[in-house]
Amino acid sequence: MEFIYAVIPPQILCQIFVGLSRTTILFIVASGLSLILGVLRIPNIAHGSLYMIGAFMSFTIAKAFGGGSLGFWMSLILTPMAVALLSLIIERCLFQFLYEREHLMLLLLTFASSLIFGDLVKLVWGAEYKSVPVPNLLQGFVPLFGGIPFPLYNLFLLIAGPVVAVALWLIVNKTKIGKISRAAAVDREMVGAVGINVSWVFASVFVIGCLLAGLGGALVAPTVSVTLGMDHTLIMEAFLIVIIGGLGNIWGALLGALIFGLSQSLGILIWPKFGIVFPYAAVIVVLLFRPTGLLKSTW
Amino acid sequence: MKRIILVLIVAILFGGLPVLCPQAFSAETIKIGLVDTYTGPPTAYTMDVLDGFKLAVDKINAAGGVLKRKIEYTTRDEKFKPDIGLAMAKELILKENVDILVGTINSGTALAVSDFVRKEKVPFFVTYSKSEKIIGEKGHRYVFNMNENTEMAGRAAAVALAKKPFIKYWICGDDYEYGHAIAEAVWKNLQRLNPKVQKIGETWWKVGEPDFTPYITQIMGAKPDFIIVATGGAGMVNFQKAAKATGLSQKIPFYQHTGNELGTLMAQGKEAPEGVYGTANYLFYFPDTPANKAFADEFMKVYKRYPKASALVGYMTAQFIAEGFKKAGKVDREALIKALEGMKLDSPLGPLAIRACDHQLELPTYFGMTKKDPKYDFLVSGDTQIIAPKDYMPTCEEIMKLRKN
Repeated sequence: MEFIYAVIPPQILCQIFVGLSRTTILFIVASGLSLILGVLRIPNIAHGSLYMIGAFMSFTIAKAFGGGSLGFWMSLILTPMAVALLSLIIERCLFQFLYEREHLMLLLLTFASSLIFGDLVKLVWGAEYKSVPVPNLLQGFVPLFGGIPFPLYNLFLLIAGPVVAVALWLIVNKTKIGKISRAAAVDREMVGAVGINVSWVFASVFVIGCLLAGLGGALVAPTVSVTLGMDHTLIMEAFLIVIIGGLGNIWGALLGALIFGLSQSLGILIWPKFGIVFPYAAVIVVLLFRPTGLLKSTW
Repeated sequence: MKRIILVLIVAILFGGLPVLCPQAFSAETIKIGLVDTYTGPPTAYTMDVLDGFKLAVDKINAAGGVLKRKIEYTTRDEKFKPDIGLAMAKELILKENVDILVGTINSGTALAVSDFVRKEKVPFFVTYSKSEKIIGEKGHRYVFNMNENTEMAGRAAAVALAKKPFIKYWICGDDYEYGHAIAEAVWKNLQRLNPKVQKIGETWWKVGEPDFTPYITQIMGAKPDFIIVATGGAGMVNFQKAAKATGLSQKIPFYQHTGNELGTLMAQGKEAPEGVYGTANYLFYFPDTPANKAFADEFMKVYKRYPKASALVGYMTAQFIAEGFKKAGKVDREALIKALEGMKLDSPLGPLAIRACDHQLELPTYFGMTKKDPKYDFLVSGDTQIIAPKDYMPTCEEIMKLRKN
């Protein structure tokens, strides 16, 4: 390790890895948003609400299984499924009627639903802060990079991120539904014309996108207080990531999340007092030179 | 079929609304209007204000009311927006003819409403806004502050921290008015009380920042002796969780206002970090007196949860209003203000008084360090010391000087 430290000091290395673990959550949520944006053409502001609902559900599920380690692992499996089921209901009852509307209308509608979901969450779970405990296995920290403590949970996120990315790549490129949805993103009328039930393709894509939001919520729950308002903080960042990556492009979402996460963690090291500025400055720089995003937009 | 499903969903979605809808007033009552944020993240605190307030009002009404009149109240949701809050305050005063206004958690709204009630001559009881301006430079005859403000919290913390041996301080917090005001108040007073302290750096993050890990690893690298953490709301919990995960809480001691309070600790259960310094203005288990226990039990019986600091504020606000009218002997706003100035009432944490000169409730501050307690399934404030109001509150002269400028 010593030769690496000679090139990159351990403090910087530590910030890079912390930034990468943050990228995981951003990528998982933003890729779901990007998928829905690319295929369904819905700028879904309510995506953040599903992430929030995911976090709240993970609290309930973890508690139902005793609140310990088992609770966390069960919530990691069950939460995305529960959110997927909920999103299927939402899509069939509400969103499927909206696909032909203009974008401004969709923005207003999804924003309104995010407010309604926010209040529903308050009715169901109450206003108190909730917390999901970190499982025993991932509690605490390990001394990495010249003895700087690195949280084990962030290490776990570093593994979870690539796993999700690979799974997503497999779904999009190797499965039938993935191929159809890619085709639908380019030309939905043509997909309908060859006899495919576009309505159900859209439903599936919506569900997969929301499943990712739920997974993001379940993954973030142990590191934060599960609370109302966590949806709006995240959705803004997720949209920025999708925009700098290229609308509807999942790999753009990955690239965008990397830029966002790393510029934040390294910015803090350079200038802690104004660390807040760096990710947004990075977004501006990207948009100045590539107004349509870094990778090819599907729009 | 699709239509029916749609209608059903809409019905379910809106079924919950009547809970917060305004109630109508009847004649010959004392009318109190509450303007506060009843949607979104601030409800973690405002619901306790309202529930504490309700608990006291129900008790007062059951005992026959005040001057043979019942107390009636109505709520308005300002949605954390000062313009909406002001419009609602106007509506309550001009249309509903409320005798008194109570609220809010938003300092911006509190200042806007305060400015309005000054012209209308309606007493306004501020329940959970923390801006020092409310009672300081913008203070006046018609505004009462029923909770601590940033200046009070900062001074109390500085009084306790000045006795500690720490020299190199790092300051960090939420990048909005509350965060900066708390940090500034602690630091300014700490420098005054212990000139040896030095600030080696500052970090500011956006409000609602979900992941503090990159900020904490950077601060740990700078190796300060002590960290002043000026977070509010959900940031309190987020920071403590990240402090535990990164090992910060075992390496470098840090302070958060309300860090040892129930609102911050209960959610985390047994997982909260130990050894976090905090200040709180109410703890339901400390001091362990019969009066405090009685209030906590009563609150628990009705609402099935422990009361937070905001519950005490709501509870005492209703009682001060009721006792003020009783002492005045008539339902008259000017007489009420006169009666309340200097009034002392028994409370769960002992006698509390409203200071005559600036209408600030004289609250003690509890400085302590988080620790586990076998009696509860969450952490509590340990080694708690009481900082008396006279030891940390800005003096009447200081307040009057602020108001003149």
